[in-house]
Amino acid sequence: MAACGRRLLERAGLRALATASAGRPAARCRCFSSSGLLRANNGEPAKFQPPPKPVIVDKHKEIVERRFLSPEFIPPRGRTDPLKFYIERTDMIRRRKVLDIPEFYVGSILSVTTADPYASEKTSCFVGICIQRGGKGLGATFVLRNIIEGQGVEFCYELYNPRIREIKVLKLEKRLDDNLMYLRDALPEYSTFDVNMKPVPHLANDEIPVNKLKVRMKPRPWTKRWERPKFNIQGIHFELSEEMMKEAQKWSAPWIKFDMLREYDTSKLEKEIWKEVNEELKQ
Amino acid sequence: MRAGRSSRARGEPAACEYYKAPSCADWAIAPTGLVIRISMAFLSRRLGLLLTQVNRAVEQRHFSITGACSAIQKLTRVRVVDNSALGNTPYHRPPKCIHVYNKTGVGKVGDKILLAIKGEKKKALIVGHRMPGPCMTPRFDSNNVVLIEDNGNPTGTRIKTPIPLILRKREGEFSKVLAIAQHLV
Amino acid sequence: MLGWGRLLCRAGLRLLAGGPGGPVEAAAAIGNRGPWCFIVRHINSATWWDEHLSEENTQFLKQLTAEEYRAQTASKLCPLKDEPWPLHSWEPGSRRVGLVAVKLGMVPLWTKNGERHAVTLLQVKDCHVLKYTPKEEYNGKTATLIVGGKNSSPFYKPESALEVFREAGVPPKQKTTIFKVSDNAIIKPGTPLYAAHFRPGQFVDVTAKTIGKGFQGVMKRWGFKGQPASHGQTKTHRRPGAISNTNAGKVFRGTKMPGKMGNVYRTAFGLKVWRINTKHNIIYVNGSVPGHKNCLVKVRDTNLPTYRDCNKNAPFPTFFC
Repeated sequence: MAACGRRLLERAGLRALATASAGRPAARCRCFSSSGLLRANNGEPAKFQPPPKPVIVDKHKEIVERRFLSPEFIPPRGRTDPLKFYIERTDMIRRRKVLDIPEFYVGSILSVTTADPYASEKTSCFVGICIQRGGKGLGATFVLRNIIEGQGVEFCYELYNPRIREIKVLKLEKRLDDNLMYLRDALPEYSTFDVNMKPVPHLANDEIPVNKLKVRMKPRPWTKRWERPKFNIQGIHFELSEEMMKEAQKWSAPWIKFDMLREYDTSKLEKEIWKEVNEELKQ
Repeated sequence: MRAGRSSRARGEPAACEYYKAPSCADWAIAPTGLVIRISMAFLSRRLGLLLTQVNRAVEQRHFSITGACSAIQKLTRVRVVDNSALGNTPYHRPPKCIHVYNKTGVGKVGDKILLAIKGEKKKALIVGHRMPGPCMTPRFDSNNVVLIEDNGNPTGTRIKTPIPLILRKREGEFSKVLAIAQHLV
Repeated sequence: MLGWGRLLCRAGLRLLAGGPGGPVEAAAAIGNRGPWCFIVRHINSATWWDEHLSEENTQFLKQLTAEEYRAQTASKLCPLKDEPWPLHSWEPGSRRVGLVAVKLGMVPLWTKNGERHAVTLLQVKDCHVLKYTPKEEYNGKTATLIVGGKNSSPFYKPESALEVFREAGVPPKQKTTIFKVSDNAIIKPGTPLYAAHFRPGQFVDVTAKTIGKGFQGVMKRWGFKGQPASHGQTKTHRRPGAISNTNAGKVFRGTKMPGKMGNVYRTAFGLKVWRINTKHNIIYVNGSVPGHKNCLVKVRDTNLPTYRDCNKNAPFPTFFC
């Protein structure tokens, strides 16, 4: 625009002034453009109609089914024959056809009923928050935690163990972290859940709500130094002095995220496996 | 072992209240030697402090409990969970395991141990530990024991904390302990 | 490594011959004894099978052999129709042939009463009987059968090694092993073997090469205790300590010392077969098995006298389909 203006000035015969006042035409142009914006601003309040937009988005969401693939279906990285994972998957699907394993995440509250020869009525039930999911394939596990009578109790359940009779999701939600092992060092109220809790209803196609709760911890020492960047924990309300937080940053390894060998892109695999599993499960 | 500054010394009563709540056995207390050293240091630094205050501060200190991942072995501090008078009266030294009656020397659920408690020797039964056991069995946040007499009868009359169901596997031995348990998981 | 060697050879040849050189020129170059001599010397040992073939020809050869081997395998699928050797029945003291399988990895498995077992998956891949050696030719005591597993490329094997496969009429194998069998359990060469050779509930021995650990000290290799970390130790923490005494005045043979660990054949005895997958030819064997993932293992009926009774009802001499 500035060049254009300069050319206009040259045409007008003001060659001597052209170099000196190179900035001015540009300023004029800016003025014009801003006046154009103002006009648009003036027009907007009159057409104030935001509601229709979100409605359209909602419809779109309803159409798109949320794809959920349990994390143990994704094979670990390595040189194992894919046939092994395929055979494991077929066994997993067979088990899933008998037992309905619902979708759940770390941070969800579950109730698990297991067959126990030593329990009265031969079944025992445990309610707690899922603090960790581990393992791949048939050996997948999840850890439930609750505080009963002031005593912290954890159970590590195997997802495909035939002793499991029922897995019920009482509250489907996520937390800020993928591993809530720090609840062991948190104040007990954060891992206390009512044993007779009523299930919270959740629509099938809704987004999974993220509980942005920040827990308060017992005084140090903890089982692990959760403030260290290695754990990258968002869900703790750290009450440490600034010096300590600074000290913890000494262990940060900012170069790790540039390590291309660590990348393991499973999106393609995930899609294939989801398709295979879904087709099998529907049969 | 590391000694952390008490929260009351820094003036945080909210966190402090929590500390009083559980039984004293729940939290590890320093061995006498360390207590004396710390209190000496305290005295030398701040002579103006009253002795009573120092004592309280020392009581609320807590130490990292090392060896949480190895189950109960010799010198492990344990928590007595029944309602026996011996296990529940406060004492300046926490109950410690001084012998494990099995071949490995590592006590798991259902093993009998010898405790040093209030200057006495007393047998006890392990009813839960911090170390994770096999899958589908509970893992507890503390090392729990129940005091038993030499003939296997429990000393207390009630156990409030949850007890693992797997103890029923050896029902014959522990039937009396299981009978006084109120909550099984 | 080999690839780099070849590249260097080529570079050296070009430098010496002043242009793209063939093998004839290379031979001449060896005589030159120039500064590149030590590189050029490798040229005789390192050749590759498609060295003088055009790309089209290579592709054609690959296709041709693949087709040929497919036809061979297909023709062997029904050994009972194709003049089989006489079948005998099982007697006490008979020994069957074993299998060559690929170790896939481990998974958990639960029994009906809820017990959990870790099992190893062994896949029987292209397993064929290759050769029968009668008693007289072997050692005068037992007859043997050579069994091979997992097809491999014929192009990287010398002609002499391929002969046994050509006689049996099967594709070349990556692994061949010898099984001692009793006279009534001999099978015609070329017969395919399947996972159904074993039945669930049977007990097997699995032999394989353990994972190589390299040169290791006594603590890792023999489980010595080592010395304390502190209390005045000078450079002595993981060392063996004394290896003999003054009276003997020598080190006895077989003294446990540091050295190469692993990479030797080991056998896991008496492993229970939990399950058989006949579709994919997979054997689920109790517990762990020596060797790394994807290694080739030898599976046979167990020799342990305790489990001999469990192996009575297996298909004899093998499973034919």
